[in-house]
Order: sequence, then structure tokens, then C-alpha cells
Amino acid sequence: MTQYSDLEFLKLSKWQKAGYKCARFFTGIPTALLNLLKRIWGGIKGAGLAVKNEAADIWSTFVNGDWKTKLSFLVMGFGNLARGQILRGLLFLLFEVVFIGYMVLAGGYWLSMLPSLGKVGPTETYDEVLDIYTTTYNDNSFKILLYGVLTMFFIIAFIYTWRQNVKQNKLAEKILASGKPLKSGKDDLKSLVDDQFHKTLLALPMTGILVFTVLPIVFMILVAFTNYDGTHNGYSNNLFTWVGLDNFNTMLNWNVKSGGGTQSYAATFGEVLTWTLIWAFFATFTNYFLGMFVAMAINKKGIKFKKVWRTVLVLTIAIPQFISLLYVSKMFAKNGILNGFLMSMGWIQQALPFWDDPTWARITVILINVWIGIPYLMLVATGILMNIPADLYESARIDGANPWQQYTKITLPYMLFVTGPYLLTSFTGNMNNFNVIYLLTGGAPTNPAASGAAGAVGYTDLLITWLFKITTGAESQYYLASVVGILVFVVVALISLIVYNLLPSIKNEEDFQ
Amino acid sequence: MASVKLTDVKKVYDNKVTSVHDFNLEIKDKEFVVFVGPSGCGKSTTLRMIAGLEDITEGTVEIDGVVVNDLQPKDRDIAMVFQNYALYPHMTVYDNIAFSLRLKKVPEDEIYEKVTSAAEVLGITEYLTRKPRALSGGQRQRVAIGRAMVRNAKVFLMDEPLSNLDAKLRNQMRAEIILLRQKLDTTFIYVTHDQTEAMTLGDRIVIMRDGIIEQVGTPMEVFEKPENIFVAEFIGAPKMNMMKTELTCENGRWYVNPFGAKIEVDGAKAEELKAKNVQPQTVTLGVRPEHMTLLFEPSANSIPCKLEVNEMMGSEVHLHMTTKDDTKLIVRVPTIELNEEQRKMLAYGRELYITFSGKVMHFFDPQTSRNLIYG
Amino acid sequence: MSENRLLDRSSDAPVKRHMGLKASRTLANTSIYVLLVVISVVWLIPFICIVLQSFRVESTWQESYVIPKQWGLDNYRALFKTDFPRWYTNTFIAALFTAILQTIIVLCMSYTLSRFRFKMRKGLMRFMLILSMFPGMLTMIILYRVLSDLGLTQANALPGLILVYVASSGMGYYVSKGFFDTIPKSLDEAARVDGATRFQVLKKIILPLSKPIVIYTVLTAFMGPWGDFVFARYVSFGTSSGMNVAVGLYNWLNKDQIAKSYTMFCAGGVLVAIPVTVLFMCLQKYYVEGVTGGAVKG
Repeated sequence: MTQYSDLEFLKLSKWQKAGYKCARFFTGIPTALLNLLKRIWGGIKGAGLAVKNEAADIWSTFVNGDWKTKLSFLVMGFGNLARGQILRGLLFLLFEVVFIGYMVLAGGYWLSMLPSLGKVGPTETYDEVLDIYTTTYNDNSFKILLYGVLTMFFIIAFIYTWRQNVKQNKLAEKILASGKPLKSGKDDLKSLVDDQFHKTLLALPMTGILVFTVLPIVFMILVAFTNYDGTHNGYSNNLFTWVGLDNFNTMLNWNVKSGGGTQSYAATFGEVLTWTLIWAFFATFTNYFLGMFVAMAINKKGIKFKKVWRTVLVLTIAIPQFISLLYVSKMFAKNGILNGFLMSMGWIQQALPFWDDPTWARITVILINVWIGIPYLMLVATGILMNIPADLYESARIDGANPWQQYTKITLPYMLFVTGPYLLTSFTGNMNNFNVIYLLTGGAPTNPAASGAAGAVGYTDLLITWLFKITTGAESQYYLASVVGILVFVVVALISLIVYNLLPSIKNEEDFQ
Repeated sequence: MASVKLTDVKKVYDNKVTSVHDFNLEIKDKEFVVFVGPSGCGKSTTLRMIAGLEDITEGTVEIDGVVVNDLQPKDRDIAMVFQNYALYPHMTVYDNIAFSLRLKKVPEDEIYEKVTSAAEVLGITEYLTRKPRALSGGQRQRVAIGRAMVRNAKVFLMDEPLSNLDAKLRNQMRAEIILLRQKLDTTFIYVTHDQTEAMTLGDRIVIMRDGIIEQVGTPMEVFEKPENIFVAEFIGAPKMNMMKTELTCENGRWYVNPFGAKIEVDGAKAEELKAKNVQPQTVTLGVRPEHMTLLFEPSANSIPCKLEVNEMMGSEVHLHMTTKDDTKLIVRVPTIELNEEQRKMLAYGRELYITFSGKVMHFFDPQTSRNLIYG
Repeated sequence: MSENRLLDRSSDAPVKRHMGLKASRTLANTSIYVLLVVISVVWLIPFICIVLQSFRVESTWQESYVIPKQWGLDNYRALFKTDFPRWYTNTFIAALFTAILQTIIVLCMSYTLSRFRFKMRKGLMRFMLILSMFPGMLTMIILYRVLSDLGLTQANALPGLILVYVASSGMGYYVSKGFFDTIPKSLDEAARVDGATRFQVLKKIILPLSKPIVIYTVLTAFMGPWGDFVFARYVSFGTSSGMNVAVGLYNWLNKDQIAKSYTMFCAGGVLVAIPVTVLFMCLQKYYVEGVTGGAVKG
């Protein structure tokens, strides 16, 4: 396409400008993706280089080091101990002892079993005396996978610590050579509340994240490549094992029929994904604009009782969502208050199918979500609107802008600019908005064509509620849930990447400052 | 009460931007040194490296002969005044000043003694129980200085302490800092972008640009013997006029011929040119605005100019002129030297003439911009 | 919605040229008042209904009318014959512990990321951003298995639940980091020059200045467990004594239970909402500050 210079661009008409920008946006996508790939490749190359440098440094430390350093390669912390840094030395040594002990006693076993995820399942033996079958439980695939991953983490931690141990020796030699004293254990402890204070502060949060987020995520990603489900729970019935990319084939191949349903998993996935995106779009933007509108109405000059209006809305944030959602869900039910009211007024003859008709249900959840979301957005928008410098409006009014122009030329661009990142997180947050959907409809009405697709997926189900249904469904197809989870990640990551790379408002951070 | 020595100090940020290049400086005990330069020249970074607030990429900083590179700020025994004062907003003035002493576990009655006497010196006794937000800019500045004073630190660091004050207050505080300096009698390092502050406060001035020291010297040295065009233009206001011209030598006498005027170089300057073995060549000639003479009628060797802007400062007039080839020159004329009629003649577009004596010239190499005599 | 309509009403300028400035302003303001009243009614109706229905005596079924024919505290009394007090205590304890522990963790994390410039900082933040793109629910499957191996599920769900709430809370550092970023760094530096260690800077300078964000963090952390449904349901796994209010009350609206427990649900809802709402309204100011600050920082 033609490229315009800045001055040529300024000569275009309004529509030409919009078209040009739009075209630039889409033609920019391949470049952005290419740049991403380039950056990834650059990252890989950088990592390769880093490994090479590290190896070279380790080697030179070994060759140039004294005997204390050399021995430290085998006995971690020896150099520290020999040079008087008792505390550090003992910690290194302790870590090595624990590591070796763990690897010999348990780690080795878990690692060796990891490729097969267990060899012998539960066996039954007939006890002639008691005339019963007794089951002996043998290998446990779940534990093998879990502890296998844990052992890998441990090994990585060990390699890192070992590298630190080598570095310490090099550093210590350098410091001693320059005639300065080494840091004592007391200095080390002191530095934990001073120059190394960030390590102390991060220790607890990072441990939590590592154990309760990173480890489970790695585990669940791996589950996507196994046949772990209710009938292969890895212990009490059948072992589970690696199945390669089979599950992705099941989920994404149009020709693979789902068990029981009339359409493939791929078709169901497509439908659910489409609805998820539509939902996220509407849930985000209806709330955003209506919330902004309410905020502007309340904050308008001359409106009294501002605090009252605001408090009424804020009150609804305070009440735990599950109460309001569950209650409203029942209000809209066939025999609920709303239908009852409308019928008693004689406005309708039959109950409106709020939750029974797919389209009705979808519109209703979006509307109720507006009810849930506006108070929050009102608060956000109020804060930002108050930050818009008043002189911008004054200058616009002197320039002759009418209220509508003031809104589109000042308020809206400012809001969009400031809340750009917020909109993005809000969009992805809505994609994963489990509570609203699950507590309102539970995914209903059920999609008959897809009913076989693990857990009776419905017309208002998002990927996230579908995932939940799969895991709690009769067959507990964890592997499918895991595939859905990975796909959710891919979608969210792609959207975030595109938005971050292409939206100018996020790139030109300083524009409005 | 200590010397400070910087050897080959270098600062490279994570994004590979070098902010300070090989900085070498020895600051003597009880000396008042000013780092001055345009923003982004690395002066604050250097100060913060001395304070320990920035890591030192290369080189060493010594305070009192001890290398302090690896010491935390709290272990360096320094006091510092920040540009925005950095008063602790949740503490009263008293607590602000007492903070460092309390950390050192000084007995409370001793703290009381020190804080009140510092407050007295600074004239803030009546505000001791107030919070910083209830103080004016000047008062906050005094509290910040008071906080540094009670430390009895080896080195007193000040990072643009006056730049947030209005012009009048700034002049007043500048005088007070001079007084304070006489009372405290310790080593001062002072960072500013304002050449007036640098000139009035410093025993020695360090002029920096782009992370490099351009010149170190006493205020008189940097004013009278600027080593390069940057220093010549940076020190003095309005800045020095620069003209491209030929330096010629006839029968042992040296001449310059800016815009056709032929002006002889003063004898003493000529001697210095000869001593430095300067050859006749094209030079950039520098003359300060206050050293130029304004003429209303042409005379021998005067430069004809057109008046563009007339800035009336009260005691003096700054005249912005352009020569025929559009070189811009500024002339500073004391108002008292102009009579009523002459003042009226200083109108836009007016043809005027300037000249200057041979004593006040600075010669710079147009290529390297070094001063041919002092560079 | 129509943005056109939106603007006419939210500005001071004339709607029509021939109208006087004052008249048009009155018209605009009147329509805004009407709108705000409508909004207030719509927003409050469900809560009014739930309160009214909780006092209904004549029927426990979900009726299509709102105002009770016979008023009484029967539903509230009935609550105490169920496991509701147990759920309530469970949730309260979980909320209390979460409020304390989560605040500590979030503040540690956000303070560090705001104030320290260490080698891995950027990488760490990016890593957490990527982690947060994985649906958290996925991890529930394994966390449930691990917790059940540790005996922290079903009847003992409470400690397990607290652990799950608190453990990964470090990832929610954005809002408080945004707050810390607004405290000038020169305060830290001044204190360090004055002789404070990093720990003393945190204790004596930053924390006293961070009251709003501490309260915001405590408040949101405290409110979290009251509304949590999915994790609590997973961990309690059908065992009534391990449930929290959300899971317990949810079950009352099951097809087979709703007939006899609908009004009890309303009563339970009211009891849950009261303390949380009162607390929230008292600390509203800090919540609003946190929300607006957080959204702007992204």
C-alpha cells in the first residue's frame, strides 16, 4: 500500500485518514508478528550466548583459581569455609547435602519414572482365606508427574546455586587479591535488611508464586499431553501416560467427533470461543461507556447530592457478588419476581424466557453485567475525569467546541489514553469472568449439539466455565481441561500482544502528560 | 572535614547510556566545590555516586582516603540536601531534623540541644512543631539544610537546593549558604545548573558537559581564562559573543578583522599568543557583551550592526544586534552611560556601531573549539 | 447506548439555540436527576427485594411477589439450625487471615518492585504478567490433589483455602506498586543518607505514609473470601462443614433445595452482606482512592 509522509497524511480527508490508519493497522500485524519472532530469536541467541559466556567464565574460574576454588567445584561452599565465610559456606554445603540426599533417596526414582509415568497399575489379588479380592496400589502417575516436575525444579535450583558458588569463589579471590577483607556472616545477615533487603522481601511472595502458581501451571501444561482423566486417575484405577499431541487433535480437529455430541469438539470450541470474545467485548465496552456516562452525569456542575448518588452505586460493590448474582439470577427466572411483576401488571401473557432461550440468555447476562460493573467503572471514570485539566475544556470552549465536540475531542481521547492498559486487562479479565456467568446461568441453556463435549456445555458458557465443567463433569477429562486452559492462554496472550504492539496510545505514553 | 577524591569514575546505565566519563577530581578538606553544567551533563549523577545513591560503574570514590564504593549511604558519613527538599511529610520539623540523630541513638537531651541550636541558626525555631506541608518553600529549604547540619558529616552535598525557589528567595538563600558555609567549615559539594550560583558560591567550579569535565578552576579562572568555547559561553550572562575572523600578524603586531574592522590585539595578549607559538590563522573570536562599546556614529574600525531587540534591565540595557552577514551579537550597556536622546535612538532596525578593545579578546580554534592561549 | 444523548445531558451548553442558557441548563439538569433516580432505583431494587423476602414467613418458595404477607424472623431462626453458622465462621476466619497475610505479601512485593532496581526486576514483572494469562482455575485441579494429600480439604478445608488465597497473592501487586511509585524516591534517599537501612526506610518513612494503600489492600483482601465461590467449592468438595457462605448458600438454590430454602438464602445473604457492607462503607474513601489510582497506573 502507499505510504504517506506526515504532511501528505494531513492533506487527506477525514475518511481517507481513517481508512489509511485502519489499513496501516492491519498491514502492521505481519510486521509486528515478524518483529516478535525476531525478538524471540534474538532472545534465544542471547540465551545461547549467555550460556557460552557462563561456561567460559566457569572454565576460567577453574583454571585460574587456587586449590580452594578448585575443590569448591566439587564440595560446594568449601572455598567460603576455607576463607572464613562460615555462614555462606555452611549454607552452600547444606544445600548440596540435601540435594544429593534427595536425589539418591527420591528424586532419582521420580525422574526415572517420568518418561513412562508409572509401569504397574493397581493389581488385585485373591485372598483365599477371606474370600475377597484385595487391591494393591503400585505406581502413582499423578505423584510421578508432580514430583518429577518438582525434581526438575530442584535440579535447576541446584545448578543455579552451584553457579553462584563458583562465582563466589572467583569474587572472593579477587577481593582478597586487592587486599580487602571478605564479608563476614554478620555482614551478610545485616545486608538482608539493607542492600539485599529486596531478597528478604521477595522470598515469601516468590515462594508462594513458585509453589502455588508456577508448579501447578507447569504440571497442568504437561497434563495436556497425557490421558489423565476420571478413568485414568493414575492411582486407584488406571495409570495415565503420555499421549503426545492427541488431545490437541481431539480438541482442534473438525473431523474428530466428541463422545455423545453431534458436533466435533473443534466446533464446540469455536462456538464457545466466539461467544467468549463477544461477551468480553460487550461486557468491557458497555460497562466502560455507561460507567463513564454515569460518572459524567453525577459529576456535572450543578447536580446536587453527588455523594448520595455515588454512595448508592458504591453500596452495590460492597455486597458480595455471589449474593447479588445468585439473587438476580433467580429474579429473572421463569417463576421469578420480574416475570411475576410483568404478568401481574398484564404487560405479558407468558413468562419471558430470560434463561431458556440462547439469545435471551446471552443478552440478559450482558445486561446484568452492566448492573454489576457500572458502579466500579463509575469510580474509575470519576477519578480520571477529575484529573482532566480544566483548562483543556476552557481552551476548547474558547475555540468554539460544542459539548459533543468537547466530549469526542477531549474527554474520550483522554479517557481512552489513560485507561488503555486498563481496558486490555478488563477485556482479558472478562474473558475469564467465571463468577458472573457461572452464578447467573451456570452456562445454561445447554447446547444439545455439543452435549457430549465434556460437561454439557451451554450457550452462555465461556471457555473458563467450560473448563470448570470439564473438570467437575462425570468423566473429569482433565487433559481436555488442560488443553482448553492452554488455548485460553494463547488467545489472551495473542490479544495482549497485538494490542500492546499496535495501539499507539499505549506506545506514546507521554502524549497526554 | 574531609577530602574527597574521585578517580576515573564512570557511570553506565543499564540501557548502556554513559552518563559520566572518566571523572577525575580531588576535593580538598573544607573546600566548596560546585558542579555546574546544563541539564543531563552528569553533575547530579556524580554527586549521587559520591552519596552512594547510584552504583559506581568504574573507578573509585574516596572520602578521607577510604574507598567508599561498596559502602551504603548511611556508612559514608555524608549529609545531603535534595532539590525537592525530601522532608518526611509525616514528621514535624523537629522530628525531621532529629531523624538522623535518633537513628544513631543519640540521647534525647543531646538531640534537643542540637536541633534547637540548628533551628536558631536557620531562624526556624518557631516552626519546630509544624509539619512540612505547613511551611513555605524557603522554610522547607531551611529545614532541609538544618537536617543536614546537625549531622556534623564529613561532606556536605547539595543537589540544586535553590532551584525550586523564586528568584528573590534564591538570592537570599544563596547569601545564607555562604554564611552557613563559614559557620560549618566543612567540605561542600554543590550541584547547580545556574552559573551565577556557581560563581558566587564556589571556591572552585567544575564545569561539565555530556558527562565530561570541561574545566575546573576558581570562578575568576573560568571567567577570564575559559579553556574552550563551551565554558566561555556557559559562564557569564548574557553569553559571550563569538565571531569568525582572521588572526594576522604584521611586524610583530597582531590583528583581528571581524566584519572588516581591524582591531589590534593588546600587547599582553599578543605576548601570550607568541608564547604559545600561535600561528596566524582563522579563529573564533570571543568578546563578552559587557566588553563591547556601543557607538552611535561610525568610527575607524567599528562594526556596523542593526538593532533587533532592546532589553531594558533597569541598570543596564542588553542590545541584540545582527551584523551584515547575520551574525548575532549582544552588547551590554550600563543605562547610566546613555543620555535621554540616545535611549530613544535604541529602536528596532536602527543602525548602530560597536567596537571593542584588544584586551578583552578570547581566541578559539574553530575546529577543536579549544582556547588558543589557555586551552 | 446512544452517545449523543449522553452528551446533551452532561454538559452546560444550550440544547437549542433559541433557548436561554439558564432554561436549557435547568432542562438538562432535570433530565439528569430523573436519570439518576431511575438508576438508583434499578440498582437498589434487588437488595430491597432480598431484604423483604428474608422476612417472609408464609412461604419458603420463590414467589413471584415481593412484599411478605406475613412478616417474621423465621428464616433467620432457621438459619441457625443449619450449617450456616459454621460456614459463616469459616468465611470470617478465612477473610481475617487472608486480610493479614495477603496484605503483608502484597506490600512486600509491590514495595520491592517499586523501590529496588535489581537485575531480574523487569524479567520478574514480565514473567508474572505471562503467568497471569493462564486461567487460575486450571491450577485448582492439582492444588486440590495436593491439598487433599496434605489433609487440608473437605472438613479441614479452611487452612487449605487460606493457603490458596494467600500463596499467589504476590501477583496482585499493581495497585499498591502504583501507590508506592507516587511517594518520591528522594524521601528514601534522604533517609538512607541520614543513616537508615533499607528496612528502617520501610518502617519509618514508607509505611507511615502508606496508610491509604494498606487499608485498601486489607479491605480488598478481606472482601475476597466472602465472594469466592469456585476455589471454596473445589476445596470443600461437598463436605458441608468445610464450606464457606458462598458455596453453602449456592447449594440452597439447587433444584431440589430451593423450594424449602429460598427465603433462608435471602436471610443468609442479608447476614453476610451486613458486616462486609458496613466495613466497606466506612473505608469507602480508601477503596475509591485505590481503584482510581490503580486503573490509571494500569
